[in-house]
Amino acid sequence: MKRHRSTIIAAGAVLALTSGSALAAPKCGLNNGTKATGQPIKVGAVVGQTGPDDFSASAKAAKAYFTCVNANGGINGRPIEYLIQDDQWNPEVAGLVAAKLVKDEKVVALVASGSFVEMGVNAKLYAAEDVMSMAAACAVSECFESKNIVSTNEGPLPSSVGAAQWAVTKLGSKNVICIGLNIPSVGQYSCGWTEKYMQSKGLSGSSILMDPASADMNSAVLRAVASGADTVLVNLPAGMAAGFLKVAQEQGIRDNFKWISSTPLYDKAIPGILGDHWAGVMHVNIELTPIEGKGPDATNWREVLDKYGTAQDKRDTFSQSGYLSARFFVDAMLKLDPAKIDRKSVSEAIRAIKNEKSDLLCGPYYVGDGDRHMPNHANMMVQIAKDGFKVVGECTGVDSAYLDPIIAQEKRLGIGK
Amino acid sequence: MLAYGLFLLSGLALGALYSLGGIGLVLLNRATGVLNFAYGAIGAVGAMIAWQVLNWGGPEPLAWAASIGAGLLLSLAFGRLLAPGLAHREPVVKAVATLGFAIALLGLMNLIWSITPRSLSLTVDKQSVAVLGVRITGTRLLAIGAGIAITALTGVLLARTRMGLMMRALADNREVASVLGVPIRKVETTAWSVSGALAGFTGLLFGDLVRLDPTVLTFLVIPIIATTVIGRLTSIPVTFAAGIAIGIIESMLALYSPLTPFRVAAPFVVAIAALMWMQRGRYLTFAGED
Repeated sequence: MKRHRSTIIAAGAVLALTSGSALAAPKCGLNNGTKATGQPIKVGAVVGQTGPDDFSASAKAAKAYFTCVNANGGINGRPIEYLIQDDQWNPEVAGLVAAKLVKDEKVVALVASGSFVEMGVNAKLYAAEDVMSMAAACAVSECFESKNIVSTNEGPLPSSVGAAQWAVTKLGSKNVICIGLNIPSVGQYSCGWTEKYMQSKGLSGSSILMDPASADMNSAVLRAVASGADTVLVNLPAGMAAGFLKVAQEQGIRDNFKWISSTPLYDKAIPGILGDHWAGVMHVNIELTPIEGKGPDATNWREVLDKYGTAQDKRDTFSQSGYLSARFFVDAMLKLDPAKIDRKSVSEAIRAIKNEKSDLLCGPYYVGDGDRHMPNHANMMVQIAKDGFKVVGECTGVDSAYLDPIIAQEKRLGIGK
Repeated sequence: MLAYGLFLLSGLALGALYSLGGIGLVLLNRATGVLNFAYGAIGAVGAMIAWQVLNWGGPEPLAWAASIGAGLLLSLAFGRLLAPGLAHREPVVKAVATLGFAIALLGLMNLIWSITPRSLSLTVDKQSVAVLGVRITGTRLLAIGAGIAITALTGVLLARTRMGLMMRALADNREVASVLGVPIRKVETTAWSVSGALAGFTGLLFGDLVRLDPTVLTFLVIPIIATTVIGRLTSIPVTFAAGIAIGIIESMLALYSPLTPFRVAAPFVVAIAALMWMQRGRYLTFAGED
C-alpha cells in the first residue's frame, strides 16, 4: 500500500513538472512535438571559440534552436545536422575548417557563425561555391561587404556611429574621440566612419587606435585628455574597455567628458566590474534589443536555451543574434519541398528572405541578392546602472553615408520599415 | 612641456613593470642558464588565482599570498621536474621548452577561467598621489618601489652571498661548478623558487594595472625579454634601467602621431639598437660563448 502511495505521489510530481514545463515550452519550426526522422540536412558554422575571446555564443544558441526544431517536426520531417567548427582565431585554421564544411561535408548553408577572422578568409570561398552564410557575430568589415555573407548583428560601425549620433542629439556632444583597435577592418573601419559622421554634421571627430596587445592604457587616456574632445567613445573589446576605464578612473577624468561605448560593454558582468564610478555615466549602444526583453522572440530565445541549451551557454547579444539567424533560416527552409533541399535551392531561399520581423531587432530582416548586406542598422542605447542596464534611447536608424548602398538596395527590394 | 611630464611619468610606471619582470628572468638565467618564456604565463596563473580568491570573498593578503605561492610552485615544478632533463642542452632548446610550458599553462587557464571580462582591484589602487597633474596610484608606486628594492636585493644576493656566488658559478659552467662541489640541485631550487615568486608578484601587479586577461599577461613576457636582452641576460641594474627606458620611450611615442601606431614595437627596436651598439666590433650569438 505504502509503495502504491509513493507511486501515485511520484506520478503526481511528474505531471506537475511536465505541466509546468509545458507552460514554458519553446516554439520552434513546425512546433508539432514530433521528432524528425528523415534524411538529415547538413548545416555548418565557423566560430572563434578558443583564442583571445570566445565568439561561440551565437552558434550555441542556434544549436539549441535546431535541437528544438528537430524535436518538433524538423524541416518538414527532415532533421538538421548542425556542424560547428572552431577556427581558433587562426586564419589558416579558419580556411581549413570552412573548406571541410563546404567541400567535404557539403553543407547547404552556414548559420550563426561568429568570428573575428573567418569571414575575411572565407568570403571568396562562399561566393565561389555559392553557399550562403547567415552569420550572427561579426566584427570585421568583410562580413558586411560580401555577397554571400549576411549577419544578424551590426558590427562595430553602426554601433559606434549610433552611439555618437545619440550623444550628439541627447547629450549635445560636439567633439567625439573614438578609442578603437588598431586593426584596419575593425578600428579604422568603425572609428573612421564615426569621424565622417561627426564631420557630416559640421562637428569634430578623431580617433586613438590601440594595439590589441598594448600594455599601456595610460597613454591612450592622456591622449584623449589632450585631444580637446568633449565625448569619449569607447569602442574596444570588453576586457580592454574595462582596462581603459580603470585608468580613466585612476586619473579622475570622468567628469571632464561625456561617455559612450559601442556594444561590447553590453555584458552582464560589466556593471559589477566597473563599479559605481561609471553607473549613470556610461552609455552603451546595443545592436539588438535588451537581453531581458519581454517580446515573443526574446522570451522564446531564453526558453529555447533553458530547455535545449546548457546553463553555461551565454545569454548575450551574440546569443540572441544566433537564435535569430537560426529562426530566419528555418522559416525559409520550411517553404521548400523537403525532397528538393540542396545548396542551390537553399541559397535561393535565403536570398528570398524579406521583411522578417522580430522583437529582438529594431528593423526588418532581409537578405536579397546585393553584393553586400547589413539588414540590421538601427539600434538602441542603454545606460550602465548600479546593478545592470537601463534603456535611455529607443530604436533609431543609423545615419551614415556608409549605408547609402544598403538603403538603395532596400528601396529596390521594397523593404518596409 | 606639461604634456612631456605627463607622458614621462606614465612611461615610468609602465617601465617599472617591465623592469620588475626583467629582474626575475635575469635572476633565473644567471643561476640556471634558462631563459624562461613561461614567466608571463606563471604570473598570469598567479593573477587569476588571486582574482579567484578575491571573487570567493577571501581577504586581500590571502590573494597576494596565493598569487606569489602559485608562481613559486609552478616555477619550482618546472625547475625540478622538467628542467633537469634539459640541463645539458643548448640554451635555445631550454628556452623552447619553457615556451611549451607557457602554452600549456595558457590552455589550462582558458579552460578553467572561460573568457569573460574580469578586473582585478587591490586596496593599493585607491591611494594615489598627483604629480604634474597625473595621478599615480599606490599600485604603480608599489611597482616602482618594488623594482628598485628587488634590484638592490638581488644585486646583493648575487654579489655578496654564498648562494649568489654558487648561482653565478653554476650559470658560467655547470660541469665545473659541480666538480667544485656546488650543490646544483639546491642552488637551482632556490633560483626557480625566487624567480617564480617574483613572477607571481609581478603577474598580480600586471593583472591589476594592465588587464586581467591570461593571453595578454602570458605574452607580456615578450617585451620583458627585450629588457633582459639589453641587460645581456646577466646584469640586473642594466635590465632595470632598460625596462624604465623602454617604458618611457613607448609612452612618449604617443606624442608623435606618425609613430604612435608603432609604439608596441618600441621594446624590440630599443633592444635591437642596444644590441648593435653593444656588440660593435664583436661577434655575438644567441647561444653565447662564441
